[in-house]
Amino acid sequence: MLQILSTKQLTTRFIHTGARILNKKEMAVRQASLGGVDVDLETKTNVEKLKRGIAEFYDESSGIWEDIWGDHMHHGFYDPNSTVSLSDHRAAQVRMIEEALKFASVPEDPMKKPKSIVDVGCGIGGSSQYLARKYGTECTGITLSPVQAERAQALAAAQGLENKVSFEVADALNQPFPDGKFDLVWSMESGEHMPEKAKFVNELARVAAPGARIIIVTWCHRNLSSSEQSLNPDEKKLLDKICDAYYLPTWCSTDDYVKLLQSLSLQDIKAADWSEYVAPFWPAVIRSALTWKGITSLILSGWKTIKGAMVMPLMMKGYKKGLIKFAIITCRKPE
Amino acid sequence: MRLLTHNMLSSNIKGVTNGFPLRIEVEKVVEKSVDFNPDFLKNMFAKIEYKALVEASRIMGYAELPDHAEPSMLESDDFLRKFHHALMELHLEEGTLVCPETGRKFPVNKGVPNMLLHEDEV
Repeated sequence: MLQILSTKQLTTRFIHTGARILNKKEMAVRQASLGGVDVDLETKTNVEKLKRGIAEFYDESSGIWEDIWGDHMHHGFYDPNSTVSLSDHRAAQVRMIEEALKFASVPEDPMKKPKSIVDVGCGIGGSSQYLARKYGTECTGITLSPVQAERAQALAAAQGLENKVSFEVADALNQPFPDGKFDLVWSMESGEHMPEKAKFVNELARVAAPGARIIIVTWCHRNLSSSEQSLNPDEKKLLDKICDAYYLPTWCSTDDYVKLLQSLSLQDIKAADWSEYVAPFWPAVIRSALTWKGITSLILSGWKTIKGAMVMPLMMKGYKKGLIKFAIITCRKPE
Repeated sequence: MRLLTHNMLSSNIKGVTNGFPLRIEVEKVVEKSVDFNPDFLKNMFAKIEYKALVEASRIMGYAELPDHAEPSMLESDDFLRKFHHALMELHLEEGTLVCPETGRKFPVNKGVPNMLLHEDEV
């Protein structure tokens, strides 16, 4: 499995050179001077392969997801132990956005609310549209998938939001924006795709304006105890299978994210395990895949999508074992 | 791609110190009518690089925007409308965004810029 500059290695490096968010120039210098712990050519090639895989996976499967589930490509937020019917899921997905904003204490006051928003890993723009509408301001979304970007743009236009939301094909690890551009930096279930967590977090922090809030909702593995160096072999085996199907690099834990945010001197860092609030989601997705529409759509879509569907029970298994966590981590960039 | 979007994009290529603004090469411009919203425009004025907007709008074929602007000009309906038109209604459907330092071209297809870097550019 891809093991690109472990978060531990990069975190240590950040801490030793002082707690600062690196701007683009400094990142360039830092990358050039990484001595023995450099991203070698093979690793770079693996990263490129991963990014292509991600783009192709979503190019292929976005349409079928949208057809059955709509424009939000993320988990719903449910009351624990509730029974949920198919029609409740969209409301739950909207609730996920609202709960995340509340958790991060994003201000709603007209003077203090976000005036520019970036949606990192925007899918077909569900969150971008919602956030732009909610705050009455502009939002831009980035995705590796040209198919998604085009679809996102079309959907926004159909909703009359063309003037408020825009989309680019771009890499979250190299965001095409100057420093300090956005009041709200939003990453809803895209972090799990990022091969270099430290670089991912640094970019989120770099494009955040002073006082901005950063919200990361992502899949993590359980936190390691102080006596553990890594997950046990069975756990790694389960995650490897999931990684393969969903084009995910090595997983990290919620603690790893918190440490990265701390190393960049970000403030008001909060983290929570929301696994119990998303429990009905995977069973519902599996049920939708097993409908006549689901099966025929899968057959027509392509091997990548089918593989993704087949691995869904492993996600459920991972949650049940307490291995997979649905995590939220938020913070604020100092003024 | 509206010029509001262009105004927030920058070239992130390794070694580039100032990748903003990206130069525009036009292949196809489309004008799309957008609801005039003075409050939104006043908010945006503070956040954008005005000079880059003026240059970009000229390249897109719109020469009405004054070279310089002060916040006080936001009270003028005439200026606000020109600002609105340049920022929100001019769309680059097909074309290229060019890094000001390296000349590297980023394509814009169907209004969507592709800002992905190659392996040797990161």
